[in-house]
Amino acid sequence: MRLQLSALHLARVFVRSARLKAAALAVAMLTLAPDARAEVVDVDTAHTIFYEAPTRSHMFVYTPGLDLTVKPTSWLGVTAGYAADVVSGASVAVKAGPAYQNTHPGADVITAASVHDLRQVGHGGFSLTHGNTVYSAGYSYGTEHDYRSNAFFVTAKTDALEHNTEFEIGYAKNLDTVCDRTQGPNVTPSRAFALEDSNGCFTKDNALRSRRDITVDAFQGSWTQAWTPVLVTQLTYGVQIIDGFQSDPYRSVILGEGLKAQEHHPNDRARQSVTLRANYFIRPIRGVVHASVRGYDDTWDIQSITAELEFEKYFGDALRAALRGRFYKQTGAIFYSDDYSGGDKPLGPKGQYFTGDRELSPFSSITVGVRANYTFRRKEGNLFWLVESAKAGVSADAVQFSYDQFTLGGSAIGDARAFILGLSGGLVF
Amino acid sequence: MATPARHSLSRSRSLALSVLALISVAFLGGCVTVRPEQRSVLADPTMRFDGEELAQSQKKHALDNREGSTGGGGVSGGGCGCN
Repeated sequence: MRLQLSALHLARVFVRSARLKAAALAVAMLTLAPDARAEVVDVDTAHTIFYEAPTRSHMFVYTPGLDLTVKPTSWLGVTAGYAADVVSGASVAVKAGPAYQNTHPGADVITAASVHDLRQVGHGGFSLTHGNTVYSAGYSYGTEHDYRSNAFFVTAKTDALEHNTEFEIGYAKNLDTVCDRTQGPNVTPSRAFALEDSNGCFTKDNALRSRRDITVDAFQGSWTQAWTPVLVTQLTYGVQIIDGFQSDPYRSVILGEGLKAQEHHPNDRARQSVTLRANYFIRPIRGVVHASVRGYDDTWDIQSITAELEFEKYFGDALRAALRGRFYKQTGAIFYSDDYSGGDKPLGPKGQYFTGDRELSPFSSITVGVRANYTFRRKEGNLFWLVESAKAGVSADAVQFSYDQFTLGGSAIGDARAFILGLSGGLVF
Repeated sequence: MATPARHSLSRSRSLALSVLALISVAFLGGCVTVRPEQRSVLADPTMRFDGEELAQSQKKHALDNREGSTGGGGVSGGGCGCN
């Protein structure tokens, strides 16, 4: 949402009488006139609902967000925002696979633990424009019942070759902390207890709760190029180095007869990805093709490919509608096994690490969705004195996951589906 | 048979050539100049890669938390809220 704070706009708000009009104009001219054309406020809001029906989770996540950008001068921008995740559902607390289930047919090795959490993130930052270059920096702070996040970022963006080429580089650092179960002295990973719940996390004097650190260093560079009046591409390369506790503290894995332990991931992980995106405008039908392909590789031996295609079309000047599809496929982590207690390959132990995380298993997914956006803008003047325009958007996506190895107690998941509903919009003052 | 040192040299040379090719292609973009009066379509909201940024980031956040290969798409923080 864009809010234009010109002297004229302010004057319109306060026009009630000749006396008020004169006063308002005088104040506006004195305080805002020098940089009136540069003063812009953008406000965006978006709300997403995620629902995952099967896998015993019935996970429901509501994500509201609000972003505000103020440009008091042509060279300075200030941003602030808030986002949250309201989470309810269940997660797999104990993971075993078909080999263990075959020998323990009566055992409920998939214990679904109830989950209720609230993630809240506040962020702020600023940008400085000097010539063709924009420098940005920002900070965000996030809290969950069992997690604290501090993230800093800096970016620099410049254009060249008559604005047809744009380069951007960025660096971010996360200093995060996760709550964990306090383990006894000399406890090996195969004997570690999982965290029962988040009670007592980040409080003093709770001997059964401890804090584990995670640091993330992220670098990114991108090159955006306008090739023709209707074709623009963007190439992005990113790398992340993660150091610290990366397991789910709540999840246990059955390793053998009478042996259950908190899942144990490596502390170090380096990941890199390359993304190529293209937008192509088809003038005769006023439509745009958005295409992207992304390749990913990391030191846990996960490789993935993501391909996205969207067709967006104007209906009149205000309404746009889009159809989109996405294909994703990844390999599993080198230490992933659906059952560490035994069985034929690919089951069985995989070295010193073990996990019950289906996101580390080999799988693919297909997403299909629709999207519509409406922007209302008067040709002359503003709506209600200050409202320059209004916009609203709605989207719906369905995701079908296909897991190659991951099972729930040896039973394959054939109906792993998720639905994502999005609403966005606001007023342009 | 390639020794490890020769293999490493070969990889370094390949990487250097790739970077050189990328830079060359980047500056070739300068040969394909889109004049200011031709940029009306490029300025359209549909042609921006950061359009509808907040809504797109929320959708990406929802999908990323169900996949094992997040990262490299931007700088972010604040945990996942995924459990």
